[in-house]
Amino acid sequence: MSDPKKNGLFKAALSALAAMFGVQSERNRQEDFSSGSPLRYLLTGVLMVALFVVGVILLVRLALMLAGG
Amino acid sequence: MIKRVWLLPWIGLFLSLPAKAAWEVNITPGATAISREVYDLHMIIFWICVAIGVVVFGVMFWSIFHHRKSRGAEARNFHENTAVEILWTLIPFVILIAMAIPATATLIKMYDNTDSDIDIQVTGYQWKWRYQYLGQDIDFFSSLSTPREQINNEAAKGENYLLEVDNPLVLPVGQKVRFLFTAADVIHSWWVPDLAVKKDAIPGFINESWAIPEEPGIYRGQCTELCGRDHGFMPIVVEVKSQADFDLWLADTRNAAQAQAAAASEEWTLEQLMERGEQVYNTSCAACHQATGQGIPGAFPALVGSPMVTTDIDAHINIVLHGKAGTAMQAFGAQLNAVDLAAVITYERNAWGNDTGDSVSPQRITELQQ
Repeated sequence: MSDPKKNGLFKAALSALAAMFGVQSERNRQEDFSSGSPLRYLLTGVLMVALFVVGVILLVRLALMLAGG
Repeated sequence: MIKRVWLLPWIGLFLSLPAKAAWEVNITPGATAISREVYDLHMIIFWICVAIGVVVFGVMFWSIFHHRKSRGAEARNFHENTAVEILWTLIPFVILIAMAIPATATLIKMYDNTDSDIDIQVTGYQWKWRYQYLGQDIDFFSSLSTPREQINNEAAKGENYLLEVDNPLVLPVGQKVRFLFTAADVIHSWWVPDLAVKKDAIPGFINESWAIPEEPGIYRGQCTELCGRDHGFMPIVVEVKSQADFDLWLADTRNAAQAQAAAASEEWTLEQLMERGEQVYNTSCAACHQATGQGIPGAFPALVGSPMVTTDIDAHINIVLHGKAGTAMQAFGAQLNAVDLAAVITYERNAWGNDTGDSVSPQRITELQQ
């Protein structure tokens, strides 16, 4: 975590996750805004939302399967 | 002890609550397996909400009291606390998921419209319901039967005031009935609490739902989507019969439909048409044109002395059969049979001093309908 560029993608993913959850600490927020390009955060965000949608679809499939539908 | 006397009436009220069936502010447990599941879900979620309310307000009031100024409390000024924020996001998330799991199980059952024994198309009209038993050759309208005198406060109101119809929807007990909802004019919604069925009836769409009635009886409901002037005057009555009684009803209803068709080829006198026409008028026309034929100025035209009603008989028949686009005047050609149409047109041309002496025969209507 000490080298933001090395863990860039992982950190961007964590920040996107925190944004989706709705809670982020002020320290991390400041770090995000001062490191790397915004493009990385945008792409990670889009990817996470896509994963969320796929996750919801799989969850509904699972629920219907469990209900014998 | 004496100071607590004021508590007694409240304790009495609480003890008597479960016994007071008439104290109906809650939803009904209903009369089907699904409606009982819906009721149980409602109660579980209600008590979860009560528990959350007690905890949240308890903590809040305790904090206000405990940290009051007179005890020298000092506010701590800090901006954020990530741990607390995560906690107060996670706890509601867990509670919501815990409620969603049983609710989803019930919803999946409610949406399972397969394997039905009877299919009934329910069509909403302004302001009545039409029931078509698909593949059974049964098709009828169900209109409010509460007398106009009760609505106008000219007579005492009956027990089922505004919750009674001329032709109820009849269902057999223990069969899976699938409903297909649609509407002919505007959006309506078919709601019978005891069956846990509440579905929008939308023009151009088919919505589905189903019910298995468990006990013979009469279940009442209402239109629950504001649909115009008489939205509150198009109730639903469901009569659940035993299989044997239901089969008898099917046969009777088919016979009545055949008799109706035969009646259209008979000769009708002016008096017979007038008598029948008055009934049809009060059921189908009086809501807008009023029992007096005077209409409502600015909204619904008067029939008394109207040039169309007193002279132009072809235009009169045409507007009753086909309606008038852009107005509330519906096409009754598809809603009423030839005898009723002939009778109501005859009635309008002779009632309230219109006295044209014109008599429209059912045969004339039948020819126009072909």
